[in-house]
Amino acid sequence: MAGAPPVSPRAAHLILNHLISMIYKIFRVSTILSADSVTWTVRVFIVLWSILVIAPLLLLLAFSFFETRSYMTVYDPSLKTWISLFESGRFEVALRTMRIAVTVTLIELILAFPFALWLAKGCKSKETKAVFLALLTIPFFLDLSSRSIVWRAILGQAGGVNTALMQLGVISEPIDWLLYSEFSVHFGMIAPYFPTMFLPIFLVISLIDDDLINASNDLGASPAQTLRRVIIPLSLPGILAGIVITLGPALAAWVEPGMLGGGFVNLLSHSIESAYTALRYPVVAALSAFVIVLLAVILVCVVLVVRRAANIENIFRQMHT
Amino acid sequence: MSPDGGPMLKTTHGFAENMIDEQESKRSAMLELQHISHNYGAVKALRDVSLTAYKGEFLTILGESGSGKTTILRVISGLETATSAEVIAIEGANVAHVPAAHRNCTTVFQNYALFPHMSVQENVEYGLSVRGMPKADRAKRALEALEMVKLDGKADRRVSQLSGGERQRVALARAIVTQPAILLLDEPLGALDEKLRQQMQEELVRLHSRLGMTFVYITHSQEEALTMSDRIALMCNGEIVQIGTPEDLFDRPNSAFAAEFMGFENIFEGHLKEISDERVSVEVNGHGFHGRWSGHQAPLIGQKAFAAIRAERLKLEGAENHAEDNALKCSAGSTLYRGKYVDQHLQTEIGPMRARIWDRANRKSSISTVSWHPDDCVVTAP
Repeated sequence: MAGAPPVSPRAAHLILNHLISMIYKIFRVSTILSADSVTWTVRVFIVLWSILVIAPLLLLLAFSFFETRSYMTVYDPSLKTWISLFESGRFEVALRTMRIAVTVTLIELILAFPFALWLAKGCKSKETKAVFLALLTIPFFLDLSSRSIVWRAILGQAGGVNTALMQLGVISEPIDWLLYSEFSVHFGMIAPYFPTMFLPIFLVISLIDDDLINASNDLGASPAQTLRRVIIPLSLPGILAGIVITLGPALAAWVEPGMLGGGFVNLLSHSIESAYTALRYPVVAALSAFVIVLLAVILVCVVLVVRRAANIENIFRQMHT
Repeated sequence: MSPDGGPMLKTTHGFAENMIDEQESKRSAMLELQHISHNYGAVKALRDVSLTAYKGEFLTILGESGSGKTTILRVISGLETATSAEVIAIEGANVAHVPAAHRNCTTVFQNYALFPHMSVQENVEYGLSVRGMPKADRAKRALEALEMVKLDGKADRRVSQLSGGERQRVALARAIVTQPAILLLDEPLGALDEKLRQQMQEELVRLHSRLGMTFVYITHSQEEALTMSDRIALMCNGEIVQIGTPEDLFDRPNSAFAAEFMGFENIFEGHLKEISDERVSVEVNGHGFHGRWSGHQAPLIGQKAFAAIRAERLKLEGAENHAEDNALKCSAGSTLYRGKYVDQHLQTEIGPMRARIWDRANRKSSISTVSWHPDDCVVTAP
């Protein structure tokens, strides 16, 4: 085969491997803890991870069982904060947050997968690849609020889109759902959350040996069959990683709903913020814990769905060797 | 004596072609390539290649890396679309514009290309299941194919649990299970160790005769080509430079390149001096040697020619000599221990030579002449 292998930047490769092995460990954490082959690296990792991540989480959870009276936290364990959470209609907010985060994640997946497939396998020019990858890092450089606020000028009642449509005679009065609506929140979140979905999928597809795709083709599979039976199963680690690192931030999204929702799209992040301003720390803790529980529930669902489609452990094992 | 070589030489030269003509009338072409050219950018990978493989034939395409042999295979399989192709016919039907998935041939890839997320059996069943064959039927066929490559006990294994040789067998089973007209093998034994390679060579030959399928086999190893093939096509720089039986290539290389590739250790450039009925005479650096002409066209007096002699055909002192032998004064150089034999380097007036000594007990301490029989001296075209 005279064609050059797909570009897989070494650094990116390392990061992906690291990410994959972490996910792999999470899936097999019980085996790792019980195995005799627990190396010191694993021990150090577990200790550091416990101090930096697990302990604050537990503390947070503990705080949610206290309550606030006249701006003072009362250290008297009870379920009052949790009960008030559901009685005050925050449950609805939680559902809305979950719906928007999941929708945005799905939109990202639907956009990112074909693009990643094309860039990794369809695009033969290394220059084009480099340009696209460079463009994709832009969201990491610019401040999120300055990027979001621009959309107000474009989507507003007197904004670019409405003005253009009215001048063209397509509409007679401005469309009001373009801004300060769930539409604008979704729309505003698409670009910022795209790279986190795209990059892991792109890397994992780049790592698929071209000959596997050739072999499938050679054995008589249609392009759709090759996609469904070879490319998607082998991309699952990247797809899972993309979902995890997109969904988490999307659940906690704060800037876009604030700037483009204009107070009409109330999400959990705002509840947390207002509780925080009111110094109601147990409410902040309960809400945060609730977001984490939501994330965990969604991820378990994703894993269960994926497990029906393929044997995850085997895919990870393959990626690992 | 006519300058174009005379009748006798013409017949010797035309012998192989006559034989193929005869076969052609008896056997039908399974694969036919006509005027295939392919470029990778500015690189010419194939230059106007034409090739025919007959039904049930084991055809080997032999060449160095970069000679274009893998490109031919990819053009046949449809994984590569040739820059220009007059005919790519499988079983008589032109498939030049048919996608790879619909061509009646499968490939055994050099790196096996087994699907890592599937079991051995799922890999073998793949070609059947994409064609919509019912589960029970394809399981039966897959197990038959696995049995044919002696892997029937490992159907449930993961690919990662197999050794290199076993992976190779799975790749074979996966390719033959759909019963294609042509099996394309791209250096399938390249990654195996010596012993396993020899074992697999025998198994491939056995499998070939059992299936009666047409095999097109790519290799850079002349030893593999000689042991397995019905015919060998030797490639150089995107062209087929010689095609014939293993004996043709081994004994009658039609060019200096073919002679060198087929392992002639001693090759000397000279000019044709004489052409007689059975022999030609070539002059190398003032020395005349008799030999057999095997060039790709009729010999012409005065043309540039190469004399090629295998190291094991050189005779040193003590060997039985014929009156008509070519002989040359020489002095002994270094020796190279090669296990089964010893290679003796010689200094002669026409340049360094290499002689092979099998019988170490009979090694002479002093060597002053080297000789070889004209039948062992191949005179060939540039």
